[in-house]
Amino acid sequence: MTPLEGTLVVFVFVTAVATALFRDVLSAIIVFAAYSLGMAILYTVLLAPDVAMTEAAIGAGVTSILLLLTIAKTSRPASDDLFEEIHVPGLIAVSALALVLLTTVPDAPAVGDPAAPVWSNPDVTQYYIQHTYDDTGVQNAVTAVLAAYRGFDTFGEAVVVFAAGMATLLVLNREVFA
Amino acid sequence: MARADRSMERGEAFDDTYVESQVILTAVRLVAPFALTYGLFLSLHGADTPGGSFQGGAIIGVTILMLAFAFGIEPTREWLRNSVVTGLVAGGVAIFIGVGLATMALGGAFLEYRLFETILGIPDGTKWGMEAIEVGGIALIVAGVFIGLFFATAAGLHREGEEA
Repeated sequence: MTPLEGTLVVFVFVTAVATALFRDVLSAIIVFAAYSLGMAILYTVLLAPDVAMTEAAIGAGVTSILLLLTIAKTSRPASDDLFEEIHVPGLIAVSALALVLLTTVPDAPAVGDPAAPVWSNPDVTQYYIQHTYDDTGVQNAVTAVLAAYRGFDTFGEAVVVFAAGMATLLVLNREVFA
Repeated sequence: MARADRSMERGEAFDDTYVESQVILTAVRLVAPFALTYGLFLSLHGADTPGGSFQGGAIIGVTILMLAFAFGIEPTREWLRNSVVTGLVAGGVAIFIGVGLATMALGGAFLEYRLFETILGIPDGTKWGMEAIEVGGIALIVAGVFIGLFFATAAGLHREGEEA
């Protein structure tokens, strides 16, 4: 792990814990946006720019704006406490889950290991890398998988986004967006 | 309906939270053109570089949200008509379905883009088919839904007895 990666992991961990602990919702939203930005940089460092852009645009951008808009319509509880009181049974349950998940980490292949199954398997990853340009004529294999090889799935996703917009109108009992 | 009437009927409580700030206005004026350009670039160039229409559409939508934050939600809502947002969302889904059905009309499967090349003779038909659903479909849907979510959330719950 390089110093940059280490710093980012610590930053993401601290902001994640702070998001859970801050009592003031506005502070929690701002720290959560910082967490998303840290994750986006971490994805970039791990050479996943498509995921990083989604995290930066959706996680740090749109989600924060929608959350800010939501709390602007609520009243802030009057309290001088900086942090939420820690709920001990909850902390124990979350720590136990984290421990169980962390036991799987030593068995995961190293970052960038060419023998890792996710990279070396000939039927999925290597197939797309070798055939994408000949099959579709585009250079970004991620786009090719989303729009061509799995086009019907992406159609389903697009309709889900559409349905989410409609559902919001239904829940808010409105007939117009703007 | 006249605009003045519209704004009166929608005189909801949120617009009194707006505070005009020179810093935010100037920052948004500077950043918005670049953000919009970047969103368009991601959408239009997503086939050959990282990014794509989902991210691009989100950034295009966020540009409108930035304007709303800087200039106030209610003036932005007045400027942006509901038909534009609805048109983006419904038009995007229609274009996506349209491209899929077009390949079926040509005798293939849903979204079988290569038929644009083999039957209609469009060079690089697969690539252009993908661009059509990315730029004409996903980018419009995502941008429209984010703008719509923002204004719908800002307007809040519509109670019985009020005008829609």
